[in-house]
Amino acid sequence: MVKKEKKYEPPNSNDRSPRNNYLIGFWCFDIIWNLGFGNWNLNLSRQENMVPQTTKRSQRDFRKRDVFYLVPLWLISLIAPDPYLYHKKEFKKKDLYYLGAIGLAPLIWSDPHFHHVMVLAGIYAILALGLSLFMGYAGQISLGHAAFFGIGAYTTAILTTRHSFSPFVALWASALSASAVAYLIGRPILKLKGYFLALATLGFGEIFLVMVRESTNLTGGVIGIFGIPWFSVMGFSFDTYLRQYYLIWGVVTGLFIFSKNLVRSKLGRALLAVAASEDAASSVGINVPRIKLEIFVLGAAFAGLAGSLFACIMSTANPEAFGLGVTVPIVMMVILGGMGTIYGPVAGAILLTWLMDILSRYQEYSLPIYSVILILLLIFFPDGIGTRLNVRILYLIGYWAKKRKRDEGKL
Amino acid sequence: MSLLSIEEITKEYDGIKALDRVSLKVEEGSIKGLIGPNGAGKSTLFHLISGVEKSDSGKILFKERDITNMESHERSALGIGRTFQTVQVWGNMTVVENVMAGMHRRLKGSLFSYGLWLPWIRTSEKESLKEAKGILNSLGLLGKWESMASQLPYGKQKLLELGRALAMKPQLLLLDEPASGLTLSEIEQLSERISEIRRKGVTVFIVEHHMGMVMEIADEIAVLHNGDLIAEGAPESLRRNPVVMEAYLTRGSAGTRDRP
Repeated sequence: MVKKEKKYEPPNSNDRSPRNNYLIGFWCFDIIWNLGFGNWNLNLSRQENMVPQTTKRSQRDFRKRDVFYLVPLWLISLIAPDPYLYHKKEFKKKDLYYLGAIGLAPLIWSDPHFHHVMVLAGIYAILALGLSLFMGYAGQISLGHAAFFGIGAYTTAILTTRHSFSPFVALWASALSASAVAYLIGRPILKLKGYFLALATLGFGEIFLVMVRESTNLTGGVIGIFGIPWFSVMGFSFDTYLRQYYLIWGVVTGLFIFSKNLVRSKLGRALLAVAASEDAASSVGINVPRIKLEIFVLGAAFAGLAGSLFACIMSTANPEAFGLGVTVPIVMMVILGGMGTIYGPVAGAILLTWLMDILSRYQEYSLPIYSVILILLLIFFPDGIGTRLNVRILYLIGYWAKKRKRDEGKL
Repeated sequence: MSLLSIEEITKEYDGIKALDRVSLKVEEGSIKGLIGPNGAGKSTLFHLISGVEKSDSGKILFKERDITNMESHERSALGIGRTFQTVQVWGNMTVVENVMAGMHRRLKGSLFSYGLWLPWIRTSEKESLKEAKGILNSLGLLGKWESMASQLPYGKQKLLELGRALAMKPQLLLLDEPASGLTLSEIEQLSERISEIRRKGVTVFIVEHHMGMVMEIADEIAVLHNGDLIAEGAPESLRRNPVVMEAYLTRGSAGTRDRP
């Protein structure tokens, strides 16, 4: 019997472990390489910042610094290989490396600006994770995700400033209120499909904005609410950028593990089944409306958490931060990171947040450049930056290696 | 005792009667065939039984329980599994995951227990993987358990769909044209498997164009024509039934190939 089982072992074509080892090696090399150069450049540019007149040389250094910021992004964007294969959905040693990189990054780049942008990236990552379950896995479209983000932020703002709740309590209240609203909205809306669902959620987002702007007594109208305290747990206040970095990325890690567990289980399979064929899904006993609603509510709870943390870090909540200007980037993060992956939205969030930050220095040119980059990314990486980039870079490495061998052989 | 009984069921599409007061019974533990020319209403009947569509009037009883107004997923929870005429495997999953997704109803646990990956979830997931591999083994698909379902050839996708339905452990299995698009040797294997499934105590209700196969495996066959049930009985008796012969012959060239 044992022999028989061995006979049916899968063919080796799907096993890509040597490739991944290659990747890890390459990645470690790059980290070490960046340690030296990245730091040096950073200090240089910071010193020159203090000199009032900016010369051509310092501008060039600015560009160099940008490049060095892009390298870790690119590295993190490598991390969504083979999302579909069953055994790839398990946790791997590789995941620990990524966790280590996230933990060490703020110590290596000990720049408040880096920390702050990464905090924003982390908040976007939480949002994108929630949306990815709904969009990437269940195959539905939501363009109103920012509203749940806003509900979370406003719940925290109101509870902490007006009723002096602690931010820790407000965090859970935000997640609850966002998911409660999602439940009420989702019951009727999720019967829609495709474009209609997109429009309905878009409408919900706009209605939320109008309500926030108009109900001045509750939300402070267009001006918003100020003076939200720092996030704190048992007297420990997250008042520096570094502490906030670890707070946010701790939450991201927790939610990441939660989501990954979800998608490698029965629920993930049911979500993919709903995305592929709803008739077939219900033919095996999957309650399609219910599972859609569950995942919509879960995504909203993620967004509520993100909103609460966002309010504590920004110390304000105003309607400008929760409109389409947030929804569209989140959707882009999910798509760019790779639909139907869990690494994807995190990688997409880091990439896009940094892109926006870097491009903001070029002021009026930033939006055209941003959109051109997005279009190019969508053309060249339609399945998401993770999957394709991996294959391409490995292909290039292989090409170089073979070329060297070929040349040596000839000589 | 009949496992499934359909009473006077009617379905109209824009004034055209796809099914007109059809009554049928499927006995427990048997293989029942349903034949008829194209457009006779066979697939419509299947859709009504599995709940993809709702009937205009009439009753469907499963295990002497009225399921006429139940949702599709509730019916499958009661033990009705089905395959589709056009293959509907989930191409975005691997082969083994397709079968494991078929066990959805049997695996218990809330969203949070899965998200936190509690110990008993771990064991149930492992067991379901093992069981899914067993089902794939019995269908001869184990060699491809890790490849994407969309990459399988058509015949294997049909088998996979059957495996997914079996993973539900259904009491009644509805097979909608399982042999269409298969080669002759594949059809032989398929009919062997269907008989095997019956031996395990599963009742099979099968729509099929391939007469040789239905005549061979079915205990009883019903014939639909233009939404009417024109004949019902053992395969041998239908072969000599003039009404059935006429129904098929008047269909022209398509009918001659399908003639019993």
